[in-house]
Amino acid sequence: MSLRLVRIDDRLIHGQVVAVWLRALGARRIVIVDDASAHDEFLREVLTLAAPQGVPVEVHDVAGGAVRCIELAAAQEPVIVLARSPRTILSLRRAGVPIEVVDVGGMGSGPGRKRLHRTISVSPDELRELRELERLGTRVQIQIVADDRPIPLRSLDSGQ
Amino acid sequence: MRAFRIVIAGHGTLPAALLATAELVCGPIADITAVGLEPGESPDHYADALRAAIGRDHGLDREPGLGGRARRVLVLCDLLGGTPFNVASAIARRSPRVVCVSGMNLAIAVEAALADGDLDGALVERLLEVGRSGIVETERHRARRAS
Repeated sequence: MSLRLVRIDDRLIHGQVVAVWLRALGARRIVIVDDASAHDEFLREVLTLAAPQGVPVEVHDVAGGAVRCIELAAAQEPVIVLARSPRTILSLRRAGVPIEVVDVGGMGSGPGRKRLHRTISVSPDELRELRELERLGTRVQIQIVADDRPIPLRSLDSGQ
Repeated sequence: MRAFRIVIAGHGTLPAALLATAELVCGPIADITAVGLEPGESPDHYADALRAAIGRDHGLDREPGLGGRARRVLVLCDLLGGTPFNVASAIARRSPRVVCVSGMNLAIAVEAALADGDLDGALVERLLEVGRSGIVETERHRARRAS
């Protein structure tokens, strides 16, 4: 099991991920699962530029990402999987990717979004998708940087 | 005289502090702006701020001496892979007059501020070299100097 971190972060690769998480987990590869980025050559290239030397970045759509994540989960190499939304993680889970824990690291605020914890906000659909992940046996927790104590979704979500 | 503009991009108060410190070292610097990413600020919002600081290709930022072409802009970023760098590198990929450098430090900022002429390939190489060569540990540096 080498999916060291499966993280929902609407910014995908950014400072917290490269400066803190890569080091904390000793991860050597970043796998991004995002349909919009996978189908846009420019976005793919910008994401590839964001990683330090020696850390390859792969950008997959959901279908390709599921196949790749299953393969990587069985391998030894420690990897970080990043997706923008709970829906993507739910699709991976339903496609058979073994995800024990999903980390909610960045979900911004906006109209129609409810604040769950500090900088983490969710739409009603996203909250349903996170609950569905828990129902499928994936623990959902909020942990913005590696030093934060993980906060289980269950402890914040009164509607569950 | 320097023909290009400089934008210092980074997290929190680092850009403003680096700019203030660079001015402490080399006096008031013209044509330079600091744009800090605030905690909780979205990448889109930051991109707007950075684009405003860089200036539009068809805006007022034109030099008669350059035949009406928009001036080049050097964007110095604090961290490879951080949001300021990601946003700046996306802008630079689309706009050939924008050059994006990550891993900025005081030495690079001062070298850029005091540069003469335009932002060409040779200057970019020199900035990278200046930035790297100032990173030493004293014992290793001393041993290397002595040999």
